[in-house]
Amino acid sequence: MVRKRIFFIIIIILIALLLVLYVAPYLYLMLTSFKASGEAVTVPPTFFPKNFTLENYSYITEFPAVMQSFVNSLVIAVISTVLAIVAAVPAAYSVTRFGTRPGRMFLIFALVTRLLPYVSIAIPFFIIMKQLGLVDTHLAVALAHTTINLPLAIWLLSSFMEGLPVEIEESAFIDGCSRLGALMRIIVPTAMSGIAVTALFCFLMSWNEFLFSLILTSVDAKTAPIAIAEFKTQYSIEWGAMSAVATVFSFPVVIFSLFMQRKIVSGMTMGAVKQ
Amino acid sequence: MRLSDKQYASALLIPAALFMVLFIVYPIVLLFIQSFQEVSIFAPNEGVFVGLEQYDKALSSERVGGAFLRTLIYTVIALGAEFVIGFAAALLFDSLGKKSAIPRTIFLFPLMIPPVVAGLLWRFILIDNFGILNWLLYWFGVLQDPGAISWLSNENVVLYSVAFPNIWLTTCFVALILYTGLQNVPRELLQAAKIDGANALQIFKHVILPLLRPVIAVVLIIRGIDAARTFDMIWILTEGGPSFASEIVSLQIYRTMIRYSRVGEASAVAVLFMFALLFFCILLFYSIWKPEKASK
Repeated sequence: MVRKRIFFIIIIILIALLLVLYVAPYLYLMLTSFKASGEAVTVPPTFFPKNFTLENYSYITEFPAVMQSFVNSLVIAVISTVLAIVAAVPAAYSVTRFGTRPGRMFLIFALVTRLLPYVSIAIPFFIIMKQLGLVDTHLAVALAHTTINLPLAIWLLSSFMEGLPVEIEESAFIDGCSRLGALMRIIVPTAMSGIAVTALFCFLMSWNEFLFSLILTSVDAKTAPIAIAEFKTQYSIEWGAMSAVATVFSFPVVIFSLFMQRKIVSGMTMGAVKQ
Repeated sequence: MRLSDKQYASALLIPAALFMVLFIVYPIVLLFIQSFQEVSIFAPNEGVFVGLEQYDKALSSERVGGAFLRTLIYTVIALGAEFVIGFAAALLFDSLGKKSAIPRTIFLFPLMIPPVVAGLLWRFILIDNFGILNWLLYWFGVLQDPGAISWLSNENVVLYSVAFPNIWLTTCFVALILYTGLQNVPRELLQAAKIDGANALQIFKHVILPLLRPVIAVVLIIRGIDAARTFDMIWILTEGGPSFASEIVSLQIYRTMIRYSRVGEASAVAVLFMFALLFFCILLFYSIWKPEKASK
């Protein structure tokens, strides 16, 4: 019994150590954002601010380009999410309900795209957008993000739809519902929680994406990650202000993922690992 | 006219298939075409066919070779650390049983933190002079001098430094998947092994590891690919410097394309990179997931 007790205490200590190690960096970022200007870069550094101030947060509102980039990110993420969901719902339904040969091949193709390096798509994608005159538009970035989101959405939705009973659909047919009508009026509402999770996942992928946005935007459609990264070069490094922007950008994401982490993980593995 | 089930199933695939052909398949075809061309970013339509010249250039370039080698080292560092820490975390949580719910939830908080934020944060932590990591090591007596390690400007260290945000961000993902895998190991099997007199290490090696094989393969493939194609975090920490010491392939391709506007060369390297990653996946798949099939 004593041995078991010691074993238990050691495990608790190790877990606590692990949590401190992983939580501390982000806490440090948030605390830095509340420090007065200059205090962020003192030698030696401090962990806690001497006195809490919101001056970094009011300071960043003086940069309209940064504010605009948040709007751009939001618009792009919404467009990309809608595109991915609209195309993925019928595809996932087709794959799970009918299981035809083209459907299965399609699913495997979607999986293979998950294994491609983004930079290999980004290069020709940039050329194509240049030819279409779409460089530095919201649409170009949204389309680029959809190339990442659509395959993910198809896999995620397929794993959700596998669980839906066929019977509800069949009773709809008996009631005189058309096949497309059954999809829209029966399947979509029943699978709504799965669709919502998938949509949120797509939104976050787009919100976080960096490489495509960097290549495809310059001024008008610049997304928040790019604006945040450029904050450093443009106005020298103002760590206090930068940590404030980074906190504003990432904190909602952290809260979201705390609630949805299991679903997010099944999205990241494209349903390979079910919770 | 009523479509047969098969036709209806195919019709439902059309929107997604159309998108993927236009924006994934066509770009890759274009990538292949341009990898055989001499083409400028300013006149992408006026490429001149040069055969295998771009591949020849890429394969004989020391900088490209270096980038591939660094990508391999970076992937091994990041994946290795994530896997070891993640597995340890999963075993710790598993041994705690149901009580692990809260620490597990906390541990997962970095799951979707934007890589750009992770990059900036670690740049701040590692930066010369006021970076807090060196000061912590100094206060704990590990370092004699808080300026002893130049994390981001020493060519011999920087490839490890740029792995830190990656490890920080994704260990939790590895841990959660392995933890889920551990939950699916039948408890009776562990009991039986214990009754047969196996110690903890033997149980881990002969019961848990073989059963987790598919899960481990999924983790290594997904995380391996993600680590190998990392761009954002390294770009923010060092932009590949100092003197290319942290420039891995995706940064090298980006620079060739955007800074030097050599589309053909960038495309050739991108094609090679794509095949290298696919080869890596197939290798992992057959060596870990289905080793018995490979030996047949």
